[in-house]
Amino acid sequence: MLPPISITFTLNGEECTVEAPPEMCAADVFRELLGLTGTKVDCREGECGSCTVIFNGEPACSCLMTAAQLRGAHVVTVEGIAHAIDHPHEVQEAFVTEGAVQCGHCIPGMIVSAAALLERNPDPSEGEIRHAIAGNICRCTGYAKIVKAIQKASEMRALKR
Amino acid sequence: MSESTRHIGKPVPRIDGLDKATGALKYLGDLKFEGTLWGKVLRAAHPHAMIRGIDTSAAEAMEGVHTALTHRDVKGLNRFGIAVPDQPVLCEDKVRYVGDAVALVVADTEEIAALACAAIEVDYSVLPVVDDPARALEPGAPALHTDGNLMHRNEVTKGNITEGFGESDVIVEHHFSTQMYAHAFLELDAGTGLLDPDSGVLTIWCSGQYPYRDQLQIARAVGWDPEKIHVIASPIGGAFGGKDEITIQIYLALMAIAVPGRPVKMALSREESMEAGTKRHPFELDVRFGAKRDGTFMALDFEMVSDTGAYASLGGPVMNLAIEGAGGPYVFPHTRIGGRVAYTNNGFSGAFRGFGTTQSCFAQEQMIDMIALEIGMDPIDLRLKNAMHTGDLSAMDHRIWTSVGIEETLRVARDSKIWRERRERQTRHRPPLFFGTGVACEMQATGLGKGIPDFSGAHCDLEPDGAVKLRIGGIEMGTGVNTAYCQIAAEILGLPMDRMRIVMGDTDETPDSGTTTASRSIYMMGNAATLAARDLARVLGEFVAAHWGEGFSLCDGAFVRDGQSVSLVDIAVKAGEMGQRLRGEGHTVHPESDKDFGDGLPHIMYSYCTQVASVIVDAETGEIFVDEVLSIPDCGRVINPQGVEGQSDGGVVMGASYALLEEVLMEGGRFVNANFTNYSLPTAVDCPRRIDTVMVEVPEPTHEWGAKGIGETVTVPICPAIINAIFDAIGIRLFHIPVTPERVVEAIEANPECKAARAMSSAMG
Repeated sequence: MLPPISITFTLNGEECTVEAPPEMCAADVFRELLGLTGTKVDCREGECGSCTVIFNGEPACSCLMTAAQLRGAHVVTVEGIAHAIDHPHEVQEAFVTEGAVQCGHCIPGMIVSAAALLERNPDPSEGEIRHAIAGNICRCTGYAKIVKAIQKASEMRALKR
Repeated sequence: MSESTRHIGKPVPRIDGLDKATGALKYLGDLKFEGTLWGKVLRAAHPHAMIRGIDTSAAEAMEGVHTALTHRDVKGLNRFGIAVPDQPVLCEDKVRYVGDAVALVVADTEEIAALACAAIEVDYSVLPVVDDPARALEPGAPALHTDGNLMHRNEVTKGNITEGFGESDVIVEHHFSTQMYAHAFLELDAGTGLLDPDSGVLTIWCSGQYPYRDQLQIARAVGWDPEKIHVIASPIGGAFGGKDEITIQIYLALMAIAVPGRPVKMALSREESMEAGTKRHPFELDVRFGAKRDGTFMALDFEMVSDTGAYASLGGPVMNLAIEGAGGPYVFPHTRIGGRVAYTNNGFSGAFRGFGTTQSCFAQEQMIDMIALEIGMDPIDLRLKNAMHTGDLSAMDHRIWTSVGIEETLRVARDSKIWRERRERQTRHRPPLFFGTGVACEMQATGLGKGIPDFSGAHCDLEPDGAVKLRIGGIEMGTGVNTAYCQIAAEILGLPMDRMRIVMGDTDETPDSGTTTASRSIYMMGNAATLAARDLARVLGEFVAAHWGEGFSLCDGAFVRDGQSVSLVDIAVKAGEMGQRLRGEGHTVHPESDKDFGDGLPHIMYSYCTQVASVIVDAETGEIFVDEVLSIPDCGRVINPQGVEGQSDGGVVMGASYALLEEVLMEGGRFVNANFTNYSLPTAVDCPRRIDTVMVEVPEPTHEWGAKGIGETVTVPICPAIINAIFDAIGIRLFHIPVTPERVVEAIEANPECKAARAMSSAMG
């Protein structure tokens, strides 16, 4: 790899600077350099979605991004999705109560995709939900309870508004 | 039962759910250690070749490389394998598939380790590739192993098959085939090994479905006392049987031993995991089935060949379960069921959710529909007529004295909306769309089988703060058994769920509970947890009697007597002052059949499932949409309905994908689609439009709560149910899976007289 460069970006609402080779995989920057292992790397080719983060407002596979691309960006990983440390996001709460979590390895990416969906579309249809998570592969749940959990989270957020 | 219980039978949310949803939960590949080195495996360059020499000198001379290891560094038995240790840890003279490991490198970084692997020179002499299991078994085929390519052969018989067919009014026979299929668990094989030079203990942090067996397989390979090896194998980010066999644990051990005091980490890529790891066995099946005109099943003849690839792993037991499941949950007077397992250079197959029954059920449940068509009988009525009950003799001729709920599941199917309205729904579709509905059943052997040690231990400890901690040697791979065990202990001790803790799958922290496979967890470890919690209640009662006096009884998590209450916190404080540990223990052994057919056959406990599927077939494009699925497992008493539904939903999607989508493709012993770009998996938009689960609760008398495992059975009948639905839709029976759009279009073109072809041509005309 090339020699490390200094990269400053906004991570989960706070400014963050890392020294990383410019071509290092962004998911590895979070996991290996910053200790944020909530982001999973399960295929390294943008197919499974386990590494999904919110990149400048849009969900994206961080395994397909380099460290250099992080410079100046606003990034939210699964660790930054909760409203506060002891106040999980509605999507996180609903995933637990609806039984949408099994092995859990796809779940961080799924949570990020779902939270991003509810930001841009607070009241999605079932089809819109399925489309929004079509880039996140889950091998355990058959998606049924995940879809229900996102619907539930949408209702929970509507009640709070 | 659920009315009178506090936790059992309730949809208790999983105890690790929030940690998974926030990303806080650390899987074993997420752990980080100071001073970590990276390990890498050099895999075989050819699917079949002799090794004439291995030269690691160039790799070892590279800057940042700590060591390169070959078979010469394997000090114990250079073999592993659950049932038959025939797989080299590091190949010495021969490679038999492209996932074979030839050398290991430990380096400062993963990048250097990869470069060093590429610098290792291996001198190969290429051998002919054996990539067809039938040809592998022919005389004169190049042999992978010294004893030839026949890994296993088994046959069971009941009655007299010739008589059975002689007395049959209708006989159908056909050839079927199933594909190689990938577990595609999301969590890749990753972990760390560390030899502590002070204590001499080697610790391996790596996902695996049976840590105590991993410990033994590691010990056998490195030539160590197992006591000096500490394996931590849980939690797991998905396995489905694919982490039952050794994956990278022995490599981690060898590398850690080579660099004492330095943690060595390894993480496989998706391609490497797909190429090196086990798969579902491809099968060829020839089936002959005879019945009376009134629908009475008379005779069944099965002959199967499976391709286990380069090494045995569980190839033998998988074929045995295919044999055991071939009769399905039905009574047959006459059977002959046989199977052979072939070694080839096609990867390496092993345990996979469904474990052989997946393959035989696929054929068997189509044969039943073919019989139903021949005699003009409703497919569910035909199954009900022949359904097995407690006390009946199986197709293998052993008495099933455990609970059998197949009739109840079939009755739910027969009375369901999806079944009753199937003809009316069919009329709502016009060419090129065709609607059809199909049904299938399954009987899944659970537990390890006759003669195979099948035991589970559990400990239940009072913690210093008055909470209760279960210790169970099984692992949590996503099924939610951790929550179910806590529900059980909390129920017995009268505690709220938040006073429960659990540690699993750790050879230092938990007793040996056996393997987390074979749908055995809730039955075996659930029973062990029950006994351990009851034992803790006894231990606590004795402790209270000794220190607070006689006459206390346990009520809602406290010991009470005439308005006086001793809480678990009080007890914990007292025990702490006295330096006493308060522990309950539970140990269980699986019941067995009194018959013994060898090789672990038969089992005595089975879970049962009926599934109904409706499909829409586009006869122009060949696409198949699974519209609705009704999944009806016989679970025994349900501990956690949310958990059962989750298993059922996921099993249906996995089984539907087996029927319609996924296939590991190989050419000349090389993988064609070993990554997620080319190996398609079902996404949220590829699923059945609707999945409903109805749990049939026929209590299993030998379980403390009446429960049994359903993790596998919910995956199996959906495949033949879909194939039967396709026949109902277009009038063509498909004998080979996956049923891709190409295969559907070809089949319609080849059958101009079928329902779909005629309707299409009349619609066009």
